[in-house]
Amino acid sequence: MVSSAATDAVDPADATLSDHELMLAVRDGELDALGELFERHQGPLYGFLVKFTGQRTAAEDIVQNVFQRMLKYRHTYRDDGSFTAWMYHLARRCAADHFRKSNAAPAATDPADLQNHADDAPHAGDRAASRDDHALLHTALSRLDRDDREVLLLSRFQELPFAEIATLLECSVGAAKVRAHRALRELRDTFFQLQQERLT
Amino acid sequence: MNCTQAQERFADLLDARRTGTDHAEVRAHLAACPACQREYAALAQTLAALDTLPAAQPSPALRRNFYAMLEKEKSAAARLPAVSSHPHRAIRTALWRWILAPAAAGALALTAFLAGTRYAPPPAAPGLDPATKRELAELRARVDSVGQLVGYSLLQQRSTSERLQGVLATLDRKDPSQKVLSDLIGALALDPSANVRLSALDALYPHADQQLVRSGVLASLPREQNPLVQVAMIDFLVAARDRAAAPELGRMARNETLDRAVRDAAQRGLAQL
Repeated sequence: MVSSAATDAVDPADATLSDHELMLAVRDGELDALGELFERHQGPLYGFLVKFTGQRTAAEDIVQNVFQRMLKYRHTYRDDGSFTAWMYHLARRCAADHFRKSNAAPAATDPADLQNHADDAPHAGDRAASRDDHALLHTALSRLDRDDREVLLLSRFQELPFAEIATLLECSVGAAKVRAHRALRELRDTFFQLQQERLT
Repeated sequence: MNCTQAQERFADLLDARRTGTDHAEVRAHLAACPACQREYAALAQTLAALDTLPAAQPSPALRRNFYAMLEKEKSAAARLPAVSSHPHRAIRTALWRWILAPAAAGALALTAFLAGTRYAPPPAAPGLDPATKRELAELRARVDSVGQLVGYSLLQQRSTSERLQGVLATLDRKDPSQKVLSDLIGALALDPSANVRLSALDALYPHADQQLVRSGVLASLPREQNPLVQVAMIDFLVAARDRAAAPELGRMARNETLDRAVRDAAQRGLAQL
């Protein structure tokens, strides 16, 4: 049964609390506070995971697992923690589990993902060209090394400071920046190559 | 600045979040270097294309599944305190109130009687010899503080009732010394009587906020064999919210050789932690 909280408006009092304060409340037993955190972060987290995994259904499963682990391991959340960094730490773990399972057993194609793949058929008009570019970018992203894709997405889309990205990746800030830049150059090369192939 | 140095700084220059940083040197190089201009333009174009990617929206099922999961967890969390802590605590309280406390009181009275018959001055003899006076003074000194009494009872006397009496003597102390707490932890870990170990644990309850006490109870848990004391110790650590206990509780929950009630208590404790 779906909770009434799923359809009710968020408690206005919660909107004034920071992510960190809400997570501390969850840790202390106020589990409803996780609803507000879900509403705030499910969209960006899902967007990150769709680009990272290239699969919509897998991204939804991982988001669900991330919030499940937040509940399960809520007591490990530290007083001096950063909620966003912790969330992406859990997301990386869940994504690693997903990749391990999907490597072990070939998965069926997800129909929801087909729109993201490059299409061989020609498109007409600017809108179609733009859609093609998006498809090419998704393809280029999927061809990046997984670690490169991850650091690029974290730095570009999730607005995480490089200090937090470095903590997540267990490397120095300088190394995180170098990896992000290298990933961007890889993406550029692949993207332009795909554009050339389309033109020819 | 050469091309390599300039291109190493492109990441910062392209990062919109670092608008305040001074990139004058890089910009000056860019203005004069067509190769770097092409490189920079290509990277900027790629980023711009990335930024135009539409944000994917999750299906309604994600929100539905999340709130279903949250409700399930809330129900489980609401059931736990009622199931896990109260019965064992109530059993121990009843055990203490009706069996251990009268037994301990009797032991205390018996000890007082024996000490009185041995050391108290006989009424018919107003004068004491110097040896007896010295012995009495020594005894008074030894039982002068509760801490010494506990140490004396736990470490030197062998009677169960006397050790129990030593533990009892600490119950009314609001601020016992580290020595008293150490002795209580020693009794919990080493005393051969389960009753003494249980009473030591009860005496430690008011001081569960101290790291020394929690660590002592946790360290004693693996060597404990009595299921009643094991469950009591698990309840103690869970009530104290000692997260360091989680790995040990996990091992106990999986240990098939332990009593079923102990494994269940460990499992519930893990969920609460």
